[in-house]
Amino acid sequence: MRPNLPIVQLLTWVKDFFEVMLKSRYNNCNTGVQRMNGKNFSTFSYIGKYWALVIGSVLFMIAEVSVDLYQPRMMRVIVDFGVLGLDNNGTPNISLVLRVGLRMILIVFVGGFCGVMCGVLTNLCGQNFGNDIRKDCFRKIMHFSFAQTDKFSSGSLITRITNDVTLTQNMIQQLMRGFVRCMMFLFAGSYALVSMDADYRVVILVAMPLILLNILLVLRKANPLFDALQKALDKINTLVQENIAGARVVKAFNQEEHETQRFEAQNREYMDIQRRVLILLSMMRPTMNIILNCAVVAVIKIGAVSIQNGSAAPGVVMAAVTYLTQILNGMLMLAMLFQNITRGVTSARRLNEILVTESDIKDGAGDFEVLPAERGHVRFRNVSFSYPSSRGTVLHDINLDVKPGETLAIIGETGCGKTSLVNLIPRFYDVSGGSVEVGGHDVRDYKLEELRKRVAVVLQKSELFSSTIRENIAMGNPLADLSEIEEAARSAQADEFISRCKSGYDTKVSEAGMSLSGGQRQRIAISRALLKKADILILDDATSALDFKTEAAVQEALRTRYRDVTKIIIAVRIMSVKNADRIAVIEDGTITACDTHEKLLSTSTAYAKIYESQIKDTAP
Amino acid sequence: MKYESPTVQRGINMRQGHTQGRINVEKPKDRKKTFARLARYFFGERLGVLLLMALVFVGVLGSVFAPKYQSSAIDCIVAGNFGGVSYFLAVMMGLYIVNGLATMLQGYLGAVLSQRMTGRIRDDLFKKIVLLPISYTDTHSHGDLISRITNDADNISNVISQSLSSMFSGVLMLFGTVAMMMWYNIALALLSCSMVILTLFATTLLTKYMRKYYVRRQELLGALNGTINEMIGNTRTVTAYNRQKTAINDFVKTADDLTKAGIIAETISSSMGPVMNCLSNVSFVLVGVFGAWFALRGYITVGVISAFVVYARQFSRPINELAQIYGQIMTALAGAERIFDVLDEQTENFAGVQIEQKTRGVIEFRHVNFSYVPGVQVIKDFSLRIEAGRKIALVGSTGSGKTTIINLLMRFYDIDSGEILLDGQDIRSIALKSLRSKIGIVLQDTVLFTDTVRANLTYSRNDVTDHELQNVASFTGFDRVVKNLQSGYETVLNSSNITLSQGQRQLLAIGRAFLSRPEILILDEATSSVDTRLEKHIQDTMTELTRHSTSLIIAHRLSTIQDADEIIVMDHGSIIETGNHRTLLELNGRYRELYETQFSGIST
Repeated sequence: MRPNLPIVQLLTWVKDFFEVMLKSRYNNCNTGVQRMNGKNFSTFSYIGKYWALVIGSVLFMIAEVSVDLYQPRMMRVIVDFGVLGLDNNGTPNISLVLRVGLRMILIVFVGGFCGVMCGVLTNLCGQNFGNDIRKDCFRKIMHFSFAQTDKFSSGSLITRITNDVTLTQNMIQQLMRGFVRCMMFLFAGSYALVSMDADYRVVILVAMPLILLNILLVLRKANPLFDALQKALDKINTLVQENIAGARVVKAFNQEEHETQRFEAQNREYMDIQRRVLILLSMMRPTMNIILNCAVVAVIKIGAVSIQNGSAAPGVVMAAVTYLTQILNGMLMLAMLFQNITRGVTSARRLNEILVTESDIKDGAGDFEVLPAERGHVRFRNVSFSYPSSRGTVLHDINLDVKPGETLAIIGETGCGKTSLVNLIPRFYDVSGGSVEVGGHDVRDYKLEELRKRVAVVLQKSELFSSTIRENIAMGNPLADLSEIEEAARSAQADEFISRCKSGYDTKVSEAGMSLSGGQRQRIAISRALLKKADILILDDATSALDFKTEAAVQEALRTRYRDVTKIIIAVRIMSVKNADRIAVIEDGTITACDTHEKLLSTSTAYAKIYESQIKDTAP
Repeated sequence: MKYESPTVQRGINMRQGHTQGRINVEKPKDRKKTFARLARYFFGERLGVLLLMALVFVGVLGSVFAPKYQSSAIDCIVAGNFGGVSYFLAVMMGLYIVNGLATMLQGYLGAVLSQRMTGRIRDDLFKKIVLLPISYTDTHSHGDLISRITNDADNISNVISQSLSSMFSGVLMLFGTVAMMMWYNIALALLSCSMVILTLFATTLLTKYMRKYYVRRQELLGALNGTINEMIGNTRTVTAYNRQKTAINDFVKTADDLTKAGIIAETISSSMGPVMNCLSNVSFVLVGVFGAWFALRGYITVGVISAFVVYARQFSRPINELAQIYGQIMTALAGAERIFDVLDEQTENFAGVQIEQKTRGVIEFRHVNFSYVPGVQVIKDFSLRIEAGRKIALVGSTGSGKTTIINLLMRFYDIDSGEILLDGQDIRSIALKSLRSKIGIVLQDTVLFTDTVRANLTYSRNDVTDHELQNVASFTGFDRVVKNLQSGYETVLNSSNITLSQGQRQLLAIGRAFLSRPEILILDEATSSVDTRLEKHIQDTMTELTRHSTSLIIAHRLSTIQDADEIIVMDHGSIIETGNHRTLLELNGRYRELYETQFSGIST
């Protein structure tokens, strides 16, 4: 796979870069969302909006580098004619030094100004570019379907929007500043050097390939090591994390020494790679310096010969040394640039993947009114479902009619498809076959926002946000006043513990929600759903961490205070579902029975078995 | 979340590193003490360190004297003495090659030394961490501990491998260059020095101004990352509550603020280069003007001017580097201080009596009092005697102290007062390892390790036979799970490719506990995610297997503990009822209440 010659490696980088650049097509829209139609869209097209800044920055850069390149000539004049007085019988000419010196200072200040301006424009352009991408990626992600979030995994999405955006932005900024600079130093420097004395050509022709070879050899060896280093570090992180989080297990099984050995092995591996990386990188500079200094020696030697022939002045030698240093430093910068470009291009690709992904769950027409009598009516017709990422069918032949205001419970073994079933109602996923209707209309005909307004879901994992408890609950209805929030919390049996918190409803939920117990988190999540006052309320195993008394109280409140709401409750414990109007028993992806508790005991063997295992010999 | 390796980043973003090295300087609290301790690690490698210093010295000599020969060569050219040029050039080249080779060896030695030392620091730290008491890991942020073992150690490694030799060579260069300049011409040397001081002054000023914006940018970046983590991590809730627009608006606002702060901060930092460039050119012109004037007066030769041009550059570089290195060293010292803080923590005390023979398994709590936080008593005057071979269940609502009892029995925490006895012996007098080897435990939160299924199952012993493994897997029902895994028992469990359900993880943890051949068995909500039929089966087999050992069970579902020999009902850290299922029901107390809410359910 990996090209053997360093030069091939260089060409691959160049190809990669231009591939991404050329594929870009700039569409003339200002807002992010409409901009990415079509697969040809590229991250780099975002730069198009800032073309004026790019051009300005490049011009300033050219001006700055020109000054840098011109300045050795003035130095030469100062040395040759001012200090050495070559045209003045060897007597230094101070007025010339002063005159040219002042001009040089002036020009250098102009160059400095251009350099600062170039920085300003590059930053304006690069940062805004990064910001645009960051915002558009976030917009995209917010509208991804669950299947798409699953596909990317939220961890990867987070890395992309943080690290990858930064890397892409850095690459752009470095390209704008560095690339132009390097190229000018390389070409103009070489030109100036050669034009001073053609013999210097030999020096450049020998030194340049040597330095290039050196850089490429080192980078080619270092690149795979960087990956290996990252992996080794990840392993150490995992191991330490496991040992800290699992300290009880390590201690309970007396495995402290075993773990230490595991760590030492991992640590040795990491150290080994890091040592190799460090050695490799530390070789690059000295080698370059040796080559550079050999070139300087050669230039002085050639200069000596030319001066002896009378074809050059001593100042020429000094200018030549300066040019040479500039050229070779330009090459080092270029090497660093290519290193960054490879990383940047990979990041840009990863961002591209987000930006070209269209949400696969789209708004329906929504051109209808839901009849009052139909509010809260849920109906599954011949529904089948499988996750896009896997081949196995999760649900099949589901037919279910839940009347407005009914309480339907769903029970079944872990992994039988209960959560998948309810996820179809607010269109977290779309059915593979058949249809789901809410309020008498196919869920796919609703506008998503409208549909989700009608459905309140309490998820299996209670997700809380790092704001106050009040704000967390108010997510259900941002316009609700405190009394409404308190009422919802009372129904969810959350009011009591919230009131006991130091700042009551204004208590901050710490970032990971660690300050609250599982049961308390669940109750806040339930309050949030109740506050939403939707037609349909779905509790997906949302009371598992509550003790039985509290759960019973929540259910009681649901029955009395939310009489008109259609309630769909997933639970593992028989007691949580026993009093529902109907209980649907799911086995292997389909509903095998759906009836009241009493009837199911005699008609469904599966239900009876679950019942027996939980209740044992006790009479109901 | 992935950790970015700081080493990798530093190797690549040289330009950024330059400014950040100065901006994000962290100051250690007690510089001297930390340095002295770190020096002890250096002392272990004293030969290497001395050799490194020697190499640095040779390298610096090379780069200090080389310009002298360069200037001599040019003097020769100017003087028309072309024959002497070659000699000076040869010496100059020799010096540069010596310098290059010395730098290479420096890099090599620096890498080897730093990795050896940091490796040792890391090993020491990890050894310490595994031996720390549970109370430490329970009360300290895990991310913070991990970052000490990775980031902080890496910072030290960087300082040793790079900054140390740079600092030494920087100081040498500084003195060497100043000495050379002084030797050539004092006036010109003072002029160069004053320009360098001006440069330093300018950069310090800019840095000071910039720091304010960097801090602001850092804060906003933290806020933005927080939003990203939360909104993307909780995307299901965001979607379910139609909150995408609000989330986007919040995000856009922070992102825009961040961009504004970032533009200002980076503009200033990118101005640094051009400004310094300007100043160094001004310095060149000044050296030229005064040099020419001196040359005119005959104080110096022209070659000296050329040497000064080189020296002036050489002079400003180490000063800038030193400022940067100072920041790096301070950051590393702060990290070292954090590492030493952990190393200074008290480990668990492993001393005590070894129990050689099999225990009978009589456990007795006598008037035990305990609090995690002083003043908030969790266990109050708890007394309980568990006879050998009995099956005891602890029940009670969340927060009643059931898990704490187990923490105390395992000596994860030590009691405040009272006694806990195993076969009549105070557990505080028994060696920790000996005590824990008698007890098999399955915890509420299942902990598995990134290793093979086999390694996880046979965690406690190396001598588990395949036959034994199969047996345990079959009665815990885990064999069915293994069948579906690609490489069976050799499948490596890690977060990315294999996802075991909570129930399956619990089965594995139960198997692990059984394979440790415990004499006392503790199950803390061990089967809460296993479906009820399998749970029953596991319980039955367990009763069979542990007929002769004492077992202690905590369970929410009362159905699973009804046949326990004794049921202990706890509330607020004390025992309120004891008895078996029948007697407790007849008591008409808390147990009956718990039982009824569970079994007669909602109608009450």
